[in-house]
Amino acid sequence: MESTQLFNLVPWVVFLPLIGLGINLLVGRRLGEVFAGTLASLATGLAFVVSILLAVALTGHTEGTTVVLADWITIGDFTTRWAFRVDTLSVVMMLVVSGVGMLIHIYSIGYMHNDVRHNGDAGRFTRFFVFLNLFIAAMMILVCADNFLMMFVGWEGVGLCSYLLIGFWFEKGKDGIGNAIAAKKAFITNRVGDFGLLIAMLLIFTNFGTLQFDQVFSQAAVVAAAKPGVMLLITLFMLLGVAGKSAQLPLFVWLPDAMAGPTPVSALIHAATMVTAGVYLVARSSVFYALVPAAQTVVTWVGAATALFAATIAVGQYDIKKVLAYSTISQLGFMVAAVGMGATVAGMFHLVTHAFFKGLLFLAAGSVIQGVERGMHHGAHPDHDTDPQDMRQMGGLRKQMPLTFWVYLIGALALAGIAPLAGFFSKDEILLSAWQTQPAIFIVLAFAAFLTAFYMGRQLIMVFFGKPQTKAAEHATESPLVVTLPLVILAALSVLGGALNFPGVHTLETWLSHTLGEGEPAHFNWLVAGISLALALCGLGIAWLIYGRKAEVAKVDPLKKGLGPVFMGMESKWWVDEFYQAVLLNPYKASAQFMAEQVDLGVIDRIGGGLAAGTRMLAEGIRKFQNGYIRTYALWMLLGLVVIMTYIFFK
Amino acid sequence: MTIIDLFSILPVIVLLVWALFLLMADLWLSKYKPGWTPVLAVVGLLLSLAASVFQAGENFSGFSGFILVDGFSNFLQPLFAITGILAIGLAYDYLKRHDIHRGEYFILILFSISGMMLMSSAGDLIMIFLSLELLSIPLYIMASLAYPRLESEEAGLKYFLLGTFSSGFLLFGIAMIYGATTTTNLLDIFKFVGAGLYDPTLMIIGSVLVLIALGFKVAAVPFQSWTPDVYQGSPSPVSAFMSVGVKAAGFSALLRVFSLIFPQLAPALTPVFWVIAALTMIVGNVVAISQTNLKRMLAYSSIAHAGYLLMAFVPFGDAVTRQNSIAAALFYLLAYGLASLGAWAVLIGLEGDKYSGNTLDDLAGLGKKSPISAALMTVFMLSFTGIPLTLGFWGKFYLFRTTIEGGFIGLAIIGLLTSLISAFYYLRVVVKMYFTEGETNFHWNFWTSAVAIFAGLALLVFSFVPGWFFELAARATLIGF
Amino acid sequence: MTLNPLLLVTFFPLIGVLIVLLLKPAWKNALRWTALSTALVTFGLSIWMLTQFNAASGDMQFEFLLPWFNLGGNPIGVHFGVDGISILMVLLTTFLTPLAILSTWKAVAEKVKGFMAFFLLLEVGMLGVFLSLDMVLFYIFWEFTLIPMYFLIGLWGGERRVYAAVKFFLYTFAGSILMLAGILWIGLQYGSFDLSLLSSAGLIPATAQLWLFGAFGLAFAIKVPMFPLHSWLPDAHTEAPTAGSVILAGVLLKMGTYGFLRFNLPLFPNASMQLAPWMAGVAVIGIIYGAAVAYRQKDVKRLVAYSSISHLGFVVLGIFALNLQGIQGAILQMVNHGLSTGALFLVVGLLYERRHTRVLENFGGLWKVMPVMGTLALITVLSSVGLPGLNGFVGEFTILLGTFKSTVLGSPWFAGVATFGVILAAVYLFHMFQKLFLGPVTHDENLKLKDVSVREILVLAPILLLAFWIGIYPKPFFMLMAPAVEKLAVLVQNAASLVH
Repeated sequence: MESTQLFNLVPWVVFLPLIGLGINLLVGRRLGEVFAGTLASLATGLAFVVSILLAVALTGHTEGTTVVLADWITIGDFTTRWAFRVDTLSVVMMLVVSGVGMLIHIYSIGYMHNDVRHNGDAGRFTRFFVFLNLFIAAMMILVCADNFLMMFVGWEGVGLCSYLLIGFWFEKGKDGIGNAIAAKKAFITNRVGDFGLLIAMLLIFTNFGTLQFDQVFSQAAVVAAAKPGVMLLITLFMLLGVAGKSAQLPLFVWLPDAMAGPTPVSALIHAATMVTAGVYLVARSSVFYALVPAAQTVVTWVGAATALFAATIAVGQYDIKKVLAYSTISQLGFMVAAVGMGATVAGMFHLVTHAFFKGLLFLAAGSVIQGVERGMHHGAHPDHDTDPQDMRQMGGLRKQMPLTFWVYLIGALALAGIAPLAGFFSKDEILLSAWQTQPAIFIVLAFAAFLTAFYMGRQLIMVFFGKPQTKAAEHATESPLVVTLPLVILAALSVLGGALNFPGVHTLETWLSHTLGEGEPAHFNWLVAGISLALALCGLGIAWLIYGRKAEVAKVDPLKKGLGPVFMGMESKWWVDEFYQAVLLNPYKASAQFMAEQVDLGVIDRIGGGLAAGTRMLAEGIRKFQNGYIRTYALWMLLGLVVIMTYIFFK
Repeated sequence: MTIIDLFSILPVIVLLVWALFLLMADLWLSKYKPGWTPVLAVVGLLLSLAASVFQAGENFSGFSGFILVDGFSNFLQPLFAITGILAIGLAYDYLKRHDIHRGEYFILILFSISGMMLMSSAGDLIMIFLSLELLSIPLYIMASLAYPRLESEEAGLKYFLLGTFSSGFLLFGIAMIYGATTTTNLLDIFKFVGAGLYDPTLMIIGSVLVLIALGFKVAAVPFQSWTPDVYQGSPSPVSAFMSVGVKAAGFSALLRVFSLIFPQLAPALTPVFWVIAALTMIVGNVVAISQTNLKRMLAYSSIAHAGYLLMAFVPFGDAVTRQNSIAAALFYLLAYGLASLGAWAVLIGLEGDKYSGNTLDDLAGLGKKSPISAALMTVFMLSFTGIPLTLGFWGKFYLFRTTIEGGFIGLAIIGLLTSLISAFYYLRVVVKMYFTEGETNFHWNFWTSAVAIFAGLALLVFSFVPGWFFELAARATLIGF
Repeated sequence: MTLNPLLLVTFFPLIGVLIVLLLKPAWKNALRWTALSTALVTFGLSIWMLTQFNAASGDMQFEFLLPWFNLGGNPIGVHFGVDGISILMVLLTTFLTPLAILSTWKAVAEKVKGFMAFFLLLEVGMLGVFLSLDMVLFYIFWEFTLIPMYFLIGLWGGERRVYAAVKFFLYTFAGSILMLAGILWIGLQYGSFDLSLLSSAGLIPATAQLWLFGAFGLAFAIKVPMFPLHSWLPDAHTEAPTAGSVILAGVLLKMGTYGFLRFNLPLFPNASMQLAPWMAGVAVIGIIYGAAVAYRQKDVKRLVAYSSISHLGFVVLGIFALNLQGIQGAILQMVNHGLSTGALFLVVGLLYERRHTRVLENFGGLWKVMPVMGTLALITVLSSVGLPGLNGFVGEFTILLGTFKSTVLGSPWFAGVATFGVILAAVYLFHMFQKLFLGPVTHDENLKLKDVSVREILVLAPILLLAFWIGIYPKPFFMLMAPAVEKLAVLVQNAASLVH
């Protein structure tokens, strides 16, 4: 089959998941878990196959193509269409989304089987896979749109799926409503970002007359020359969208709460794919950012700051998933910083490897959690007070769950940036470009990298080493194959992922250059590599010194003694949520309340009634003259006469 | 006295002769066949109606200008006859129920109507005075018909005293005008004024006095105070008759006299009319809000509508709009008269044997008890308010149009706002009937209901073909133009 | 002569009214079926009209002109006509009416006869408003719609129905009387009440335009309703029976925005241009205000009512952007709001039928109890929140686009602040969804609630399908209205330049 014809397959990356979703929606529940899970995984798997075919086709025609499906909106000079962009950048995203997505689908078959029972509503199994497929579809729309508006469809679509999946157990969580609130928080925070993106789109259309990527970017240089201010605005408003979706400062607050969703969701949406949409957007619009240095600086600093800030918080967490969540934020910071510095490839590279090892870590964490849960149910007297996600209540699991331990170890080391694992290379490229362009950024990122290694070490030790802290941990058991298999595959990818853009070869670099244009590949720099590796190692080492040596994990975190208030800050996330609550949410609530009661009911609603009351009073007033005495009435007539006469003669 | 003269007042003659004959016949009928008197009275009215229709299209004067037969009178006289018929229909069952069934009542109606008819075709100030008395004196009696009921007597007395008081004004005014122009004949006055042979000061004083006298009849503020008391005190059919007949007669005189002989005084008088119209609309509508007694409420509503009619009349000095303002007023009278008679009909059905049951609360539950009457009442209220698909809407439409045409947009706005206020108390009636539970003791009676149904259907059906009535009203030109 | 489709569509429901009046009050199902089938046939007729409609032309089509009578030199005619703008409103009306009737199967148990009669009369009135081309005829239909709605609220409404009904009547009447004055003035000045004659050229002097814009605008602004003239709406919406609220929100409010398009823009173009920033400003305030107030409501229906204020703010904003994107977006958004808010009221109605309460606090966790209902409600909420891929987004985005680049408004701030309203919309709608369907089931009464029946699905499904259609492929709708809107925009531009 001619490769150009292969391109026409691209809409199927959206349709296949939609079909799977549809079938599951109609009959999935009746046909049982295995069917529903397999169908969903199959749909995603096929999408993955299509993506591979597209990649193959691209090797022949690296310029890619656009497959137009239909017109969407056409009014006057505004037109936009449903069209799929196939180029090296979008295909990379497709591969990641469908590939990692497929693995996580498979994993979920096993995981959700237990999860729905643990949460006592087995009937909800199918719904999970419906949502999961919906997410794949939306994510695909996002990455292969050929214009901003269609991308926005996916952009908010994945936001919706995130909302649905975070709130999957909508009757659970703190006071039974916690999960639902977390979901709402995620959606609304993202809406704030989307607001930025909308404004950016309005600006783009008014200044470029179109929202189509190729047309926009081809004019970018001209417009930038004519109206630099506008370009700055566009890029900054876009950054707001990025901050929302990719959980950067100041909009990162939703991601930790998003861990309320089932673990596969955290892995797929909130670590591997959706949250990287922001990075993708910046990469896609790299032409813009290249033209606006000021915006680049802002982006870079936002990324770097986020990387460090989130890392510090990760250090202070006890919830196994929360640590990973903040780590994700931090790593996204790395990527954003990278694309900000113009090291788009490095950013994308890290995006891919991060998808592997962070997906792995989350899934492994899920395996750990369920292991502990199984431990909880062990024996005659199942204990319910153990929190299966609290690392302080684990310990020594490497004996009970060896396989999970090993893959977790690989993921953690990859994340920490230990050579020759995937994370090492990708992170190294980022640090390298920072080293070459902006030393300040390098220092920040390097410190973040150090903290990364440290908190991963801390986590490894608290979870897998030492003695079991609870009966549950003691009786934890290894997960079934359907769960561990994806882990193994992802582990393999985390090991080998570095090859994607191996120094000197730069596969990814050349691949992406077809879309992003020729950038000169970063030459491997032994010094930088050495520094980052050293930082990673001593991070782990210090973690071992603090946590590893004594078998008993102290009830009070040893760091508390050392850092005191600083650790307090880390532990309580630097009170950012509290800050927003006090500065944004409560004031809005209060003013809305004020408008609803004092203004609307108090003033506006009273106007009509007030007028009526006024007329009524007037009526009562006039009535007084109606006293029933003829003399009065006659007097009125005379008065009338007198008044009229006086008017007529003295006017 | 030629045959022409007789022909000029044919409808009146028919009516008067018939009334006198009936007066004697009643001496016997009241003993043996009390039911016949009203029927015969209706026959008389029908005959006179026929006579007035027979006159249609004619345009001449009789009794050396004492009587003017023209489109104006041709429009009004049938209206009066019909009003009379409907008034009898209203009275028939009511009087029996309150056993004040006296033959005189129906005969008095005939006399009063003949007065109204004369009024509509009066070509001389003396004639106007005479017809005014002729239409009023029977009403004084009818108002106190419910003797020995105190309220009724009080009403009669009040109406009589104030009425004669106002007649004094009229007589005095006529004298002034005579002094100013040495004649009382409208057409002559018209000529002299045209030639400038008159004394402006006396003229204007006279015109104001006439205005006040007629303003009393049509219940314009500040000469309206008698209305609520009299309407409430007198038997409901009488109030109904007054609210339509007297008002129409008063306006007929007002329209004829002022647009015929006082146009030159417009600069001086227009502001007066403006203020009176505004006050009448405001006072009538506003005070109606605070009424709990339906009869008083309708009284105030009738005051309010007098205000609207006056509004059309404000640009009387403007030769261009004059014809429209007359036509609009006549058309409005038609719509108002139908709605008013209908509303009174429902009220009469509602009124208990001891004059009870005419408060707002007595309407509660009428929607269930008697859906048709409730529906009809709704139509009347909507027509009063001026909601489309009722004749009342077209009435207001034409009125406001004329007012704006005359350039009195401010007044029109006042009119519109006050009709918003009126919507408030008219709706309250609907609310009571449909939205509040209650046990009304509604007396279904054929004749009363017939009146209501006739009025209701007329209001609805004619609203689809208003053009025909616009034509009719437009053709109601005054002689002398 | 062949029967004019417009007359057929407009007056066909009257046949239903007649049949209903002939039936016995006791035959409830017969009454229901009569009303439903009448509404369905009317819908069919309107579809047939659509097939005959020439979408390529922006002119009035199927015009029907019958001289009615003549008043002092003013001919008043029965003049109907439909163009790309009004045809959508007509379709919306005929589409929602049968669904609304179907939703009353259980909800309206007594006085069925009266209910159905009034409901069909209401449909006639609304269709007449959208199709009249003679100002007097328009005014007649405009006022006439008050009466059936007044009784629908007053007789079948909630606890405070009387207050709500009277308030609804008086507010609307207050607005329309000034419009009547305006109509009369125009008639006197230009000797005609016929829109097609009057709007053919911007003949009204600029100063007069300002006054007339006010007189008409007030009537329409109250109907829309625009802040701060909205206070009749929450009460009317809350107290009206479900079907009433659906039509009220779905169609009656559109009469206001439609009035702006049909009268203020073509007749008073200068005033429109001059006042556009003010109108837009008020609209934006309404967007934010409505959203904020909705967020703090304890009664679901009140919440939805205030959301209407916010949503229609977008419509007005789009209209006064006075460019193609703005106006077309506004028209589509009128349809969207009709669908989304209509569906929201239906959902609330379904809950009310089951629980006989509208207080948010009494619900919670319903998604577990009634999964299908939860999903339908979710889609409804999403279409109302303007999620891309659903109808709301297309309308809102095009409106924002038009507003943002509008030369008449001349400032991106209107669009900027309005866009902020999109966030607030998410806040109150997801707040509502959470209170109703998420979290644990807090009240035992809710545990045994029945999920939606087939009939109820039949009521909601068509609306939601249409929501997807418009969201994914709005092209047919835009193509339908485009020529008429272009004509309107050109007319405004020319007339404005002409008088200057």
